[in-house]
Amino acid sequence: MVPHIRFFKSATIAALLCLLPAAISAQNNGGPRMDHENTLPPTPTGPTPMTPDGHPDLTGLWNGLADNLLGVPNQMHNVGIEVGADATRDIHSGVQIATWPLQKRTRQNNEQNERAATLLRRMGSNRPIYKPQYWQRVKDFDANSNEEDPSNNCMPAGVPRMGVPSYIAQTPSYLVFIYPGQGGLIATATSYRMIPTDGRKHTNLEDLDGTWNGESIGHWEGDTMVVDSIGFNSTSWFDQLGGYFHSENMHVIERLHRDGNTLTWTATVEDPDVLLEPWTTTPRVVLLNPDPKAVLPESLPCSERDFAHVVTKEHH
Amino acid sequence: MRGTEMKVLAKSALMIAVLAPMAFQIVRGQSNGSKPSAGARFAAPGAMDDATGSGASDVAKTLKTAAETVGLARWSGVGGQRLPEVDVINTMEIWASGTCYALGPSNKPGESGPAFKAEYHIALGYNPPAMRVEMTRSGSGAAAQHTIEVVRDKYAWDESEIGAGLIPGKGTATPAMAAVNNRLLQLWLLPYGVIKAALAAGDKTKLSTESGAAVLTFPLSGPLADVTVKATLDAENEVAKVETRSDNPAFSDLLTEIEYSDYKDHGEIATDVKSPGHIVRKQGGHPVLDVQVKTWDANNPYLVFPVPENVKQAASH
Repeated sequence: MVPHIRFFKSATIAALLCLLPAAISAQNNGGPRMDHENTLPPTPTGPTPMTPDGHPDLTGLWNGLADNLLGVPNQMHNVGIEVGADATRDIHSGVQIATWPLQKRTRQNNEQNERAATLLRRMGSNRPIYKPQYWQRVKDFDANSNEEDPSNNCMPAGVPRMGVPSYIAQTPSYLVFIYPGQGGLIATATSYRMIPTDGRKHTNLEDLDGTWNGESIGHWEGDTMVVDSIGFNSTSWFDQLGGYFHSENMHVIERLHRDGNTLTWTATVEDPDVLLEPWTTTPRVVLLNPDPKAVLPESLPCSERDFAHVVTKEHH
Repeated sequence: MRGTEMKVLAKSALMIAVLAPMAFQIVRGQSNGSKPSAGARFAAPGAMDDATGSGASDVAKTLKTAAETVGLARWSGVGGQRLPEVDVINTMEIWASGTCYALGPSNKPGESGPAFKAEYHIALGYNPPAMRVEMTRSGSGAAAQHTIEVVRDKYAWDESEIGAGLIPGKGTATPAMAAVNNRLLQLWLLPYGVIKAALAAGDKTKLSTESGAAVLTFPLSGPLADVTVKATLDAENEVAKVETRSDNPAFSDLLTEIEYSDYKDHGEIATDVKSPGHIVRKQGGHPVLDVQVKTWDANNPYLVFPVPENVKQAASH
């Protein structure tokens, strides 16, 4: 193939891929389409329903923003960059970031849009601190993520990379979390978790086969559901970006707190084999789907056909 | 691709992306980790008929243009077409080689002395402000020297290896608190640091022209508040020359002059961030550093600067 034609073809494919999540979200998440002008979390409204056993009821379709993991606004929010009306702030460091509010601006092509998106997704300060001997490996994984990302080729994203469940069903003795496929930045397969909350203890780690989601057990700490997970494989990455690999000794503590029609989720990752200290995600706040008749639509089948056409290391 | 129907949807998304509405413009500066100055907000710029004007709107427009020119001010149409432009530059990694010069025989500041071949590997970040400079120097009959100098916020230290002092038995971190200001200054005098600091200086940033070139003059903040920076933009609105001055004798050794040229995207992964390919630093009119950039990774790579415990303890004493 003539080189410039090959490049054009790959760039076109990459550009289409980049737009895919937004296009999918418009059709299959079931919630209202948001047109973000900021990355501020939604403000809670309404009462928090309680179950007969006195706990907040987490049951619901938590895709009220229609794009919980999709698009630059949520990806920036997920790394702690709050863009307001005329100011931007990194909520972890408190640093104010120069902002030029929306005005008439030069049209960008898809490559320019995606290169900017790649920078915007990575500009936050909240980064896990690996042991120095792993710094280069994380950089290499991120730089070569088109090849190295374990969630490519339709593999599971795993816990906690999947983020906030799109649907939660709650009973007195267990929770069910559902994560639709095509999860935005990480196009991946549909996944579910069944999480006992009956007071049982973890299986001994050495008796567990390492899996993508691990063994999860939930308990209440006040009004916050705490989901404790161990027993992972060492294949997945633990955040959306950055090549954040982990060992089989990873321990994840997720916290879910409902306030009215919002659900706040965080995950703390402990992995003394590779991290210098525990790391906690930026709190992610999602909105209950306001349509009482909303259901989760069927996820589109995941079939990777692009990689053979990618000729640069630019991210998609 | 997950089906041709997705192409149709993607085209729809692309059409949405180009319908970005117009609105007002306010520029808010970056605090560089400290409280933003009251002047960090600029009035909405009008048409700039006279490039020599020094009004706030002209300063704002000049800074915005400079920020967009180097790819610092960015927005994306990938689901964020209604978000404002923001400063996307945080971490960067640079590989460069060239010549550095020791002080002259008389040890007079700025007098060029013996030249050495130098290889640089620099990791830096602006949130938090931090920089790790790894240099290998050889030539002039002396044995090769390898140094790793680090600064983060109010801490400075030297490492025997990358990340030394963080794990017991893994290298040595030697506190170097006296070098904090000098190392931070190098960070803020890079082109992106200049734009960030000029924005953070708010209405203290002044615009003038010299020989037809736009010149921004502003004070730095925090421990470098006594240092004034003069930045000259070239015809493409790139930071071409940076000079520092101070009336504080404590900063006399830090005063410097840096020339940047040959701007382009020097990253292995394209980012549309333009970086200088040639850097010349002078003191007292004599070059102390002349390097060519090999690679400049601007893609906010994973670079961290945790402070070793012994350095924190040294700083507290």
